[in-house]
This record gives sequence, structure tokens and C-alpha cells, in this order.
Amino acid sequence: MSGPHPTRLDDFDLYALGALDADERVLIEAHVASCPDCAQKLAEAQGRMAILAFAAPRVEPSPGVKERLMRQLHSTAEGSGASAVPRVIPESAAGIFGRWWAVLVPVASALALATILLWLHNVQLERQLADLRDTLRHQQAQLDEARHMAALLAMRDTVVVPLWEQKTPNTVGARVVYNAREGMMVCDGMLPPAPADKSYQLWLVPMNGAPISAGVFNPKSGQMSHMMMKVPAGLTAKEFAVSLEPAGGMPQPTGPMVLVGPIS
Amino acid sequence: MLVARIVQRDESALAALYDRYAGMLSSVLNRILRDTQAAEEILQDIFYQLWRTASRFDPERGSLPGWLLVIARNRAISRLRRHNPAAGEELVETLVIVPANLENAVAQQQLLSKVKSALESLPKEQRAALELAYFEGLTHSEIAARTGDPLGTVKTRLRTAVETLKRNLQI
Repeated sequence: MSGPHPTRLDDFDLYALGALDADERVLIEAHVASCPDCAQKLAEAQGRMAILAFAAPRVEPSPGVKERLMRQLHSTAEGSGASAVPRVIPESAAGIFGRWWAVLVPVASALALATILLWLHNVQLERQLADLRDTLRHQQAQLDEARHMAALLAMRDTVVVPLWEQKTPNTVGARVVYNAREGMMVCDGMLPPAPADKSYQLWLVPMNGAPISAGVFNPKSGQMSHMMMKVPAGLTAKEFAVSLEPAGGMPQPTGPMVLVGPIS
Repeated sequence: MLVARIVQRDESALAALYDRYAGMLSSVLNRILRDTQAAEEILQDIFYQLWRTASRFDPERGSLPGWLLVIARNRAISRLRRHNPAAGEELVETLVIVPANLENAVAQQQLLSKVKSALESLPKEQRAALELAYFEGLTHSEIAARTGDPLGTVKTRLRTAVETLKRNLQI
């Protein structure tokens, strides 16, 4: 076993939380690698700290993510991995090798060098392929968003709601395209970049009940471009609003309303 | 068992797991990254990783939603800190035992209320330190540097916060 047991159970929680500095982390990692009891305690601590995730405001992913994932299952072939072929020298060839070593050694060296160069080339190609996949995924995401936007606009019960700037009268800062039946909305518009410790948060205000968070966003450039969001289906919305909240958003609006759009 | 069906290349099993856990993961990814597009990229990657490596996951040894949450947070923090976002592949061996039911939306909603309430009951400084560690991936020293508080104060604050949280959530 490497090193003593951590003296406090909380050490595992603080490790799982990511709060320990590098020297403290190393001690726990070295110990846990050879102590099943402490590995179990660490697993339990990982689970305890994982549920802190539920402090985050609920944000549903756009439907396009699932579609892209299911397409990815089909489009990406499973890599089988190259298997090394063992080089076998027959017993009878040993004598020949002995006589021709002066030729074979340089050839083997050249082959080894060629293998290394090919491997490096392969690594480079894999990187390029990964970049291309990222680009493709990004473009696919944009295409999906455009398709969803078109489908949403084509629905008869979709409404387009202008969101009015609160600081500048009679100025539309954004618009929301909303379909209550599908629980889908798309937000489009311009806002100044949010301060570093703040996030913009979009709210759906239902006819009855408290506002529902439709998503937290922090447009770096001020541009909200076809931001697609999912909210519970079947809600009758009274209005939409964008507020400025502490970074990461809040369960209910606390900050100033930046944009408000009543549904007429 | 959905993981076993994924190993058998049953796409409907992956779709079912996605429906069950995507909202939970999307929430923490968005909270950490504050960037919907980056959050969705990582979300897709995590489920694709599950598809590729499901055979190495042993449901008897740990909780799948717990593992997904740990992976999601690690990936998001890596992205936030400009580390290699592909790192985390090795974490398939990470064992996570969650002391709560996360298997369906109702259970997740109940846990959300409990966690929010437990966090709100903490003193402001303790809650802030806990959130800086969990959602921004800051260590004791980094929190001390960020807030200007002495390192010892930050350590005590976080330890007390964790103890109180465990007691209030009975975990």
C-alpha cells in the first residue's frame, strides 16, 4: 500500500470536489491505487459530490443533439485498430541471416525509420481528421438548427414574439419563435456582451405560475443567433423576458429585465 | 439492462439512456461552460463515448448516471481551462457510487429541490466556495487567490460546507 490512509473521510469528498491542490491529490491517488477500501470510499465521495450537479438550473438540450448523435452512430465506422504482425524468422533462415547481417541490419533500420515516419504521418492525419470531424459536426449543427427553425415557422400554431428593450423605448432587441404544443422556442437578436460575472437568462412567463427558465446564455459578441431551446410542452405563455442574472443563472429571475415581450 | 443492450449495438437503448440523462447532463454542462454550443458538443461526445466503451462499464460496480455526471463535469472543466477536451476517455474505469436515485425525471426533480434547498441553507461564503470548486474547478489555493481570503479560511470553509451538505442531504 502506498502511503498512509487519509485521516479524514472528508478528504475523499474534497478530492472528488476537485478542491485539493496537486500535492494533496497525488497523495490520495497513490494511496487509492493500492487500497480497495479507500477506493470504495472515494467512489462513494465521487457520487456524493456528483449530485451537486443538481444545483445547476435545468437546461434541456436542443433536439438536434440527439439527432446528430444517432447519425454519428451510423456515420463513424468503428476503428478496429491496427494489429502488429509478429515477424517470424524460420529456424533455417538463421544461418542465412548470419551471413547477410551486414545487409539486413541497414535494411531493418531503414524499415524501422520508415515505420516511425509513417506513424508520425498517421498521427498528423488523425489530427486533421479530428479537425474535419469537428468542422462537419459544427456545420451539421447549423444545418439542423436551420431545419428546426424552418419546421417551427411552418407550424400554424407557432407565434413570433418581439422582445422589447427596457432601456430604449420602442426598440426590438430580439424575437422569440415559440410553439407551445411542441415546447420549442428559438431566440434571435442582439444584446451587448454580458459582464464577466453575469449571464443572460431567458424566461417563459406562463399564464399561471412562476416564470420558467428557458436557458442561460452569455453572448460574447452580443449576437444571439437562432438559439434553440426546449421548454415543457403545452404551456400557455403570457410573455417572454430576458434578465441579467449572476453567472450560471438562477431558479427564478432576480436581476433587471433587459428584454420583455408580451404575447398579444 | 440498457447498458447490456448498448453493448449488443442496440441504438434504441442508447436513445433511451439519452432521454433519461441528457437533461441532467446538459444542465451541469451549461452551468459550467455558459455556452450552449460547447455544452451540446460535449453532451454528444459523452453519449458517443458510452456507445463505444459500454462493454468496459460494469453496472454492478457503480452508477451509470453518477459516472456520466463525473465525466460531464470533468470534460466541461477541461474545456473551460483549455485542456484537451478528449481527455476523460480513461475515466471509463472511474468508479462512482451515487447515494440517490437518478433513474427518472421525477427522482431527478426531487433531488434538484433537495440540493437547492441544502445549498441555500449554507452561509453565503461557504456556498460560494463550494460552487467555485464544483462549477469552476478551482482548488483551495485558486479559490483563495480568486476571493482574496486566506488559504486556511478557504479550507475550513469548504470542509464545513461539505460536512453540512452531507448532514442535510443525509448522504
